[in-house]
Order: sequence, then structure tokens, then C-alpha cells
Amino acid sequence: MSAAVDSIREVAATALSEGTVGVFIGYGRDGDTGRATPVFARTPEDAADLIFDATCLGNLAVYLARPEVRSLGRPGVLVKGCDLRSVNVLFRENVIDREDVYLVGVRCPGVGEPAADKCGPCKVRDPAGCDVVVGDPVETDSAGAETKYEAAAAIEALSLEDRWAYWQEQFGKCIRCYACRQACPLCYCKRCIVEKSQPQWVETSPHVRGNLAWHAARAFHLTGRCVGCGECERACPVDIPLGAINQKLAKLVEEWFGFESGFQPDEEAPFTTWSADDPEVGIL
Amino acid sequence: MGTSDSIDEMVETKLYRAKPGWLSAAIAALGGAGIHVLAPKREADRRDGSARIDLAPVTSAEQVDQDFVNVGLPLKSIYFPPTQSLLDYAAVEGGDVRIDEATESVEETVVLGCRPCDAAAVALLDSLFRWDYDDVYYRTRRERTTLVSWACTAPDGQCFCTSVGGSPHGERGSDVLAFLTDDGGALLEVHSVKGERFVERLRDAVEPAGGDAERPTPPDVPERFNTEPIRRWLENNFEDDSWKEVALRCLGCGACSYLCPTCHCFDIVDESTWNRGTRRRNWDSCAFALFTLHASGHNPRADQTARWRQRVMHKFRYFPDRFGDVACVGCGRCVRRCGAGQNLVRILQGIEQRA
Repeated sequence: MSAAVDSIREVAATALSEGTVGVFIGYGRDGDTGRATPVFARTPEDAADLIFDATCLGNLAVYLARPEVRSLGRPGVLVKGCDLRSVNVLFRENVIDREDVYLVGVRCPGVGEPAADKCGPCKVRDPAGCDVVVGDPVETDSAGAETKYEAAAAIEALSLEDRWAYWQEQFGKCIRCYACRQACPLCYCKRCIVEKSQPQWVETSPHVRGNLAWHAARAFHLTGRCVGCGECERACPVDIPLGAINQKLAKLVEEWFGFESGFQPDEEAPFTTWSADDPEVGIL
Repeated sequence: MGTSDSIDEMVETKLYRAKPGWLSAAIAALGGAGIHVLAPKREADRRDGSARIDLAPVTSAEQVDQDFVNVGLPLKSIYFPPTQSLLDYAAVEGGDVRIDEATESVEETVVLGCRPCDAAAVALLDSLFRWDYDDVYYRTRRERTTLVSWACTAPDGQCFCTSVGGSPHGERGSDVLAFLTDDGGALLEVHSVKGERFVERLRDAVEPAGGDAERPTPPDVPERFNTEPIRRWLENNFEDDSWKEVALRCLGCGACSYLCPTCHCFDIVDESTWNRGTRRRNWDSCAFALFTLHASGHNPRADQTARWRQRVMHKFRYFPDRFGDVACVGCGRCVRRCGAGQNLVRILQGIEQRA
């Protein structure tokens, strides 16, 4: 992917020197851990530190809703296809306007070693709708689509009792750090439902009951929105398989509404679209 | 090294040789005495192939994992759990309130296989939890728990105990410090009355070590920074522009605070149903947006810049000012698990360069 790196550095440096952007959000290398880490280039010289390879796991779109980043000026951001899907949701929900962000797409064959689960089924290895796209052409894995809802299917195969026991065990681990929420580009509410205390809709204590309520609330709020970028699961410090929950709901949304989130910036999502012709199935 | 005096009664260090199979003997003896045993246990594998290992109840030595750098959650989760019931309350006839304290029972517990950094953190937390209030919830669990630490043999690149006054062979906070040997035995260093009681339970599985017994060479943990110049810089640079820069990637979750062996902030909530409820103490984090939100609506730490600055200041300036210890034991969890790739060590190195 080194051809992509040179292009990214060039594009970012140019955007910064021409004033197209005030900050370019990309990946840099942490020399200690060897991991890719978000960097916020402000000058063309900063752009020389940008990288792109299979270690670039993070979804940088999460920074587009952070006021500390927006205060640095018009943002440019490097997006893989999965990241771009979440940006499309930010567009349709008016979190940021298309003209207020400079999108640099990067063609991506998959990240992670071993490759992340989301990469096999990915249909957006060549991200469309960006200002610039860099990187060598990549092919879509035609067999990959079958694994799209694999994590959810594994749990669906369990009996109801086993499923309940499984989630009680998993949510018993939750310490309510909210890394899942903070890492999610679509959890951008300035005041989350769990932070509302008059009344306290969701108990804040990390017991199983409170944790179940929290994760159910978050899953419901992401239904029809989550694009499966996997950041919630990656961020979880106690390794709860959060992706499976969102996958299950995404599967239901596709089955019932024929909708998958984030492929177009102007899509009409089932739960956030008002229409006078809404058949209102299910409302008495 | 700090002004905290241990909650335990310390004794002059005694050395014992534990024979191969001592771990089994220990677990059997403790279990037989009705004592709760926690040891590192492989819980599951993560998607990337690495193992998730945590302190968990064990009933046999086969369940204990010995090949790890450190466990997921630090020891504070025993003394200061993520959520804890402080008291129950209920409205009674006549308009009165019945209060029921000490709603949780605390078992006698032995931890086998914590690391020196985590044990040192406990000694550090002792000063905090006995500072302006002798925290009975903390103290009860603390008095009923014995720590048998395992000296480190293979620290990883994110360990930095030696930069904050610790060591892979540090004994601070441990009742017993065990140097495991390849034959399944160990050299046991006993440091407290609780440690002596533990060794007594091992009976024939241990014997006093000969006069030639000595610790093995510690593995190398290179010093990454020096806390003194950092502390001086922190005293003079509350308003520095660099705070905004280093805070940009922080997403404001509580993962680093919650995984940190020394972080100790908490929230107290009442969870009620109509006419009864429970008062709980829960972990809280200064990284959260609402941590310092006042009832008036004013928030003195309104952005992540101010919140990130608070994290560094508290650990490397305020806590040492008050208690004499840097509130960090160099376990490296915050660096390993930050989802946003924040690296406290590099930030401190940057501060030292500017100092």
C-alpha cells in the first residue's frame, strides 16, 4: 500500500498549503506500540508523517463531531470505505455538511492481522463520493458477502436460554467505561440518554441489569444507522462482542426494510425518515 | 518511597523455598479452609488471537495461566469494585426510613499471581482511602485479602514501572513476592503477617530457604522518563498550548481510568423503586464530559483539553504533592488498550523534553 501513502501525503500537504483544510485527520505511527494512531496534521510538513497500511484500524470519522477538532478549521479526513459509510450517516443526519469536509478516500483490501471480520464482506473497498480517492485498485471478495452477519448468526443459533446466559455473562464484564459510545462516530449526542438524570432513564451502575439497559438503549439508538465499522468492539477494554448486537439489528433492518446504512449520503433510513406515505405498519 | 503506611503489619523479610507443586498445594489448602482463591485464568481468546486473562476464582492449579504480562483488570476491582452497594433503604410506616448497612459480605481472599506493579498500586491507594475518611468499604476488603505477587519475567514494551519508582521485582504492597522457577517451584519472599499465615498453610510444600537463596536477576525495563522534571514543568505550565495538541485524539471514554490500578474516582447514586432502594458507589472518570458539571450548568472542565490535562496533573503533580507518590505504577494498560492510540508515556516524554 505504499503507493497510497505517497498519494495521501501529497494530497494532504497540498490541501493544507492551499488552505482547502485547516486540519487533515489521518493515521500516524506510534513508535512504541507500532500501532497506527490518529494524527491531526496542521501544516504541509506534518503531512509527511501520514501512513496507511493494514494497521490502520481506526475510524477517523469519529473526530468530525468532536468540537476540539472542528475548532482547528475545515477538516480533511482519510476514509476507508467503512469509515466513509459512517460519514454518509453524519451527512444525512446533518452533523456535518458535505461542503464542510474534504474527503480523501483510500482503496483498501482490508485491515488487521488477521483481517478484521468486517473486511471479508466489504462492498466499498473502492470508496465512492470522495473529493479524491488514492491507492491501487482492489477487488471485492464475492464470497465475502456470506459472512456479513456471521457473528449474529452464531448467537442466533443458540437457544433463548443460552442466549440469555451468554449476554448475562458478557454484560457482567461491562464496567461502563463508554468506550463503545465514544469510539462510535454515530454516538454524537451532546447529552447521552444515560447522562440524563431527571429522571435517570438508564441506571449508571455497572451491574448486569444496568449494563443490559445501557447496551439495549445504545443498540436501539443505532438501529438503521450503524454501519458495522467495528470500533465499538475494538475499543471495549473487556472484550465484549458488541459487534454481534449491532449486526443482529442490521440484519433485521435489511430483512424487514431492505435497507443497509451508509452507502449513500442522501439515503432515507427507516427510523429517521418522515413520509406522509408511511404505511405505519405496527402503529395501532 | 511515599508516605503511605501499609494497612498490613509488616515483618522482616523471610525467604522460603516452595517445592514443585506448591501452587496445587496452596489452592487445595486455601480452598479447604474456605478461602476464596483468585488467580490468572485464561477466559477467552480475542479476535486477534491474543488471550484475555483475568483474576478469577480457581479451584485447581491447572486452571491457572502463567504465561502473561499482566491481567486485564487491576487489583482495585477487588477492594474498590466497579459497583458496590453501600446501604439499602426503605420507607417504613410512620414516615421513617430504615437503613441497612453492610449489605455485601466479604470473603477471606487470597490472590495468587498479581504483578508487582498492581500490588504497589494497592499500597498507594491505601493512603487515599484512609485520607480524610477511613473508608470502611475499602478497608474491610483490604484486611481480608492477601496478595501473593509473582515477580515479572517477561515485561513487554509498554511496561514502564521503573520510570515511576517501581520494578519487575518490587515488593511494595505484596504480602508475599514469589519468584517462580521452571521446575514448578518458587522462591517466596514473605513481607507481612498475612504473608506468614499464607506460608503456614502450605505446610510441607515449603521450607525455609537456605542462606544462599537469592533473588534472580530482574528483567530489564528501560527507564522511559523522569518524574521530577515533569512535575516541575506541570507546576508551571497549566495553561500551555501543548495540552490542546496532546488531547486531540482522546475521545473521552473511561477505559484508561478504569483499567488504571491507581485511578480511584467514584460516583455515588441512589437507585430507587418507589419506596425503597440502594445507595451505590460506582467507578467514575475525569475523562467523562459531565464529570465536573455543576448543578448550575457551569463546567470548569468543559473540553477534552482540560480533562486530559487533569489526568496528567492529578497523577504526576497533585497526588505526589499530597501523598508523596506519583499516582502511576507503569503497568502500561492505558497505552495497550486505548482505542484512540493515546500514549501517556510519549506525552510525558514530550513534557520532559520541554522541561
